[in-house]
Amino acid sequence: MMLTVPTGKGGTTYEAHSIDKAFSVPVLRRVDVVFHPGEIHTLVGENGAGKSTLLKIMSGVYAPDGGRRILDGEELGHLTPAEARRRGIYLVPQEPRLMPDLSVAENLYLGALPRGRFGLTVDWRRARDTTSGLLETVGLSVDPRMLAGRLPLAHQQLLECARALAQGCRVIFFDEPTSPLTAHEADTLFALMRDLRDRGLTLGFISHRFDEVEDLSDRITVLRDGSVVGRHERGTVSRPALIEEMVGRALTLTRRTQRDTSPGEVVLSVEELVSPPEVNGMSIDVRAGEIVGLAGLVGSGRTELAETVFGLRQPTAGRVTVMGRDVTTAGPDRCIADGLVYLAEDRGRNGIFADVDLGTNATSAVIGRLPGRVGLLDTQEEARMAQRMLVRMNVKAATMTQPIASLSGGNQQKVLFARWVLAHPRVAIFDEPTRGVDVGAKEGIYQIIEDLAGEGLATLVISSELEELVRLCDRVYAVYEGRIVGQLRGDAITVDSVGELAVGAA
Amino acid sequence: MTAISLGQRRRLPAWGAILGALLVLELGYFSVTNRNFFGGGTGMLTQIELFIPTGILAMGLALVILTGNIDLSAGAIASLSSVVVGTQLESGTVIGAIVVALVVSTVIGLVNGLIVAHLGIDSLLVTLATQFIASSLAVSLAGDNPPQDFASLFLTLGRGTVAGVPVALLIFAVVAAVVALLVGRSRFGRRLVLIGHNAEAARYSGIRVARTTVGVFTVSGLIAGIAGIVLAAYFNAGRSDSGMALLLPAITCVVLGGVDIFGGKGRVGEVVVAVLLLGFLTQGLLNSGFSSLATTMVTGLLLIVALVVKIAFEVRSDPSVLASTADRLRRRFAPRRPAADHG
Repeated sequence: MMLTVPTGKGGTTYEAHSIDKAFSVPVLRRVDVVFHPGEIHTLVGENGAGKSTLLKIMSGVYAPDGGRRILDGEELGHLTPAEARRRGIYLVPQEPRLMPDLSVAENLYLGALPRGRFGLTVDWRRARDTTSGLLETVGLSVDPRMLAGRLPLAHQQLLECARALAQGCRVIFFDEPTSPLTAHEADTLFALMRDLRDRGLTLGFISHRFDEVEDLSDRITVLRDGSVVGRHERGTVSRPALIEEMVGRALTLTRRTQRDTSPGEVVLSVEELVSPPEVNGMSIDVRAGEIVGLAGLVGSGRTELAETVFGLRQPTAGRVTVMGRDVTTAGPDRCIADGLVYLAEDRGRNGIFADVDLGTNATSAVIGRLPGRVGLLDTQEEARMAQRMLVRMNVKAATMTQPIASLSGGNQQKVLFARWVLAHPRVAIFDEPTRGVDVGAKEGIYQIIEDLAGEGLATLVISSELEELVRLCDRVYAVYEGRIVGQLRGDAITVDSVGELAVGAA
Repeated sequence: MTAISLGQRRRLPAWGAILGALLVLELGYFSVTNRNFFGGGTGMLTQIELFIPTGILAMGLALVILTGNIDLSAGAIASLSSVVVGTQLESGTVIGAIVVALVVSTVIGLVNGLIVAHLGIDSLLVTLATQFIASSLAVSLAGDNPPQDFASLFLTLGRGTVAGVPVALLIFAVVAAVVALLVGRSRFGRRLVLIGHNAEAARYSGIRVARTTVGVFTVSGLIAGIAGIVLAAYFNAGRSDSGMALLLPAITCVVLGGVDIFGGKGRVGEVVVAVLLLGFLTQGLLNSGFSSLATTMVTGLLLIVALVVKIAFEVRSDPSVLASTADRLRRRFAPRRPAADHG
C-alpha cells in the first residue's frame, strides 16, 4: 500500500497567540490556543462563541485583527487558504466543498496535482497510484473514478480528510464535521481521527455533541463570547462543569418536565400514508396539546413522512386530515391555511432566506394574510407584527432589518418558530428543532415547544437526539424503514427504549 | 426582555447614491462639453426618447431577473408586438391594434412561464427558443413591406409630448412606478423576491413557486409588448428587427441597477437610475460626435467598472459575500426539479 501519511514523531505544533477578531462586533478577544501534535484538541462553546472563526483564522480564511499565528516556532504573516494548505494546514469545513462533477481521484488532488519532472505537466500516474492508498487510509472503499457528488455526505467528509493527507497536511481542523452525519457514519470518522492522531498529526475539532467531545478530546478549550474561559485535559472535567463554563450558568440537561397532559381531540390524523420508496404505509395521530415524537434513524422515512403530510411530496395512497378536513393532496399553501405547518430539517436550504431581513423571514408563510389596503402591503404594520412575535420567541437581535444570516443558529431557528407561529397553526411538525443550536439555546427552544403545546398546539417532533424526545414527548412513535414499528407513552419513554425501537431491534 | 429595534426607515441605498452621483456628473459633463445637449427647455428630456423602449423592457426583465430567471425573448416579443400593432393599425382602430399587440405579447410570456415553471427547464433555454419563434413570427408577419405611416394619434406615443414631457417618457414612468410598487409593496412581489433568494425555502413557506413564476414571465411579456408599441410609434413603422437590439442594453440596465443576476437582491428605483444613466450616456456620446460603436464600447466598460466597484463594496462590508456567491452559483446550477405546485 502506498502511504503518503506521515508517521512517527516530530509532529507540528501550531499556536494561536492573542488572536483578536471583530466583524463589526468583537468575535475573538486575545485568544491563546496551542494545537499539539498527536492530540485531538476540541473547541467547545455556544454558537457565536468564536470557535469557527478561530479555526478559519488559523487556516487562512480570515485575517486576524491582532495576534500571531505560530507554526513550529515560525510566525506566519499574511495567510491565504492556499498558503495555509501549502504549509500543511487544512480545514475540513462543516459542509464538504468538493467538486460534485469531478471524480473522487480528481477531487483528491484538486489544486495540488503531483507535478511531472519540470513542474509543467501533471504526473497522472502518481496521482492514480497514491489515490487508492489514501482512500484506504481514510477507510473509504469506493471507486476513485466515481463522481464525488454521488458519494453520501459522510463519505464526502472522509474524502475531505483524504484530500488533506494527499496534500501532505499535518494540521487538520474539523469544523463540526459530524452535524450532518448519522451516529454510525460519525463513528467511522472518529476512528479515522484517532488513527491520524496516533500517527502524530495535529488535530483541531469543533463539536456540539458532548459524547463526542468526551470520547475524542485529548484537550478541551472552552470559548465563551470570544474569550477562553476554560482549558482542560482528557478526563479532568465533568459534563455539567463544561456546560456551565460554556453558558456561564448551571443548566440541567435531560430534565423531563412532567407536563399536565390531558390531550384534547385528534387534530392531525395520518392513515396508511404511502409515498414510495421512503414512506410505506404509516399511520399516526396527534391530539391537541400533545407533544408526540417521531424517532428513527436518518433515512428511516421520518422526514419524508412529514414532507408528504405537508404536501411537499405526493402520496400514492392513504389519507391526511387536519381537524377532520382532508388535506391529503393539498400543497403546502393549503396545509398552512388549514392549520398545518412544518419546520424543515435543513434550515439553510429549506428554512431561511439568508440575505433577507428578520421581519420578512418571519412573515414568509403568511404573505396572503399580511396587513394592507387595496393590494398594497402595510410594511410598517407587518414589521411591528413580526417584531412582537420575535420578542415572544426571545430572539436576540439588534434590529428587524438585519439579515437572518447574521444571527446565530439558535436565533435563526427561533425566527423560524416565529414564522410558523404567525401562521396560527393547529398542528406543527418540528423536524430536528435543535439541530445546529447550542446547548444554551436548546433549552429556550424546548420552552417554546412546551409553551405552544400548553396553548393547545398539536405537536409532532422529529429528532435524532433521543434525549430530546425523552425530554419533550408525551408519546413517541418509532419509525423503521418507512413503517411505524412501535409506540411508547409516558414513563416508558427512555433513551434505551426509544433507541431500541428506532433501530428496529424490538 | 429582548429588545429588537424596528430599524430606521431605509437610508439612501449606497448603490443608488453612487448611480445618482454618476448621473449628475454625466449630465454636467455633457452640458459643458456639448452646447447642443440641452437644446432648450424640453431638450434634455427628449434626449432620452430613443432609449425609452429599452428602459421599459428593462422593467419587465428586472422582475424576471429578481426571481433568478432570465427572459431572452423579451426583445423578440417587443419586435413582434411592434409588427402586430403595425399590421393591425392598417385595418383597425388604434385602441384595437394596441390591445391585440399586448394580448399576443402576454400570451408568449405566459407560454414562457408555463414551460419554465411546469417542465423545470432552465429559463435561459426556454426563452432562447421562444425568442427565435417570436422573432421569426415577426419577420414573416412583417413581410416584404413592413407596416408604416401610422395615424398621427398613434405616433404621439413615440414622439409626442404633453406639457413638454415626452409621452414615451410618461409611459416609462408609469411602467416603472407599477413595477416598483409590485416589487416593494405587493404580495406577488414579495413572493417573487423570496423565490429569487431561495426557491426551496419559498416552497417550504407555502409560496406557490410555479404560479408566481408563470405570473412573472407573463408580466414580462406584457411589458415587452408595451415597449414594442412605443418602438413602432417612434419609428413610425413596425420593424421586425427593432426589438432584438434592445435586449442586451436592457439587461445591462438591470445589472447596472444592482439587481443580482442570481435573483433576490435589487431595487427597481436603482434600475430606473441606471436606465437614465445609460440613456443619457448613449445620447450624449452620439451628440458629441462619437460613433455608435464607441458608445457601445463605453457601455461595456461602464458595466465592468460598475460591477467591480459593487463587488468591492460588498466584500468590504461582508467578507463572506464571496462564499455566499459560490453557494448561489452551486444552487443555480444544481439539477432542477419542476417546481409544480401540487394541490
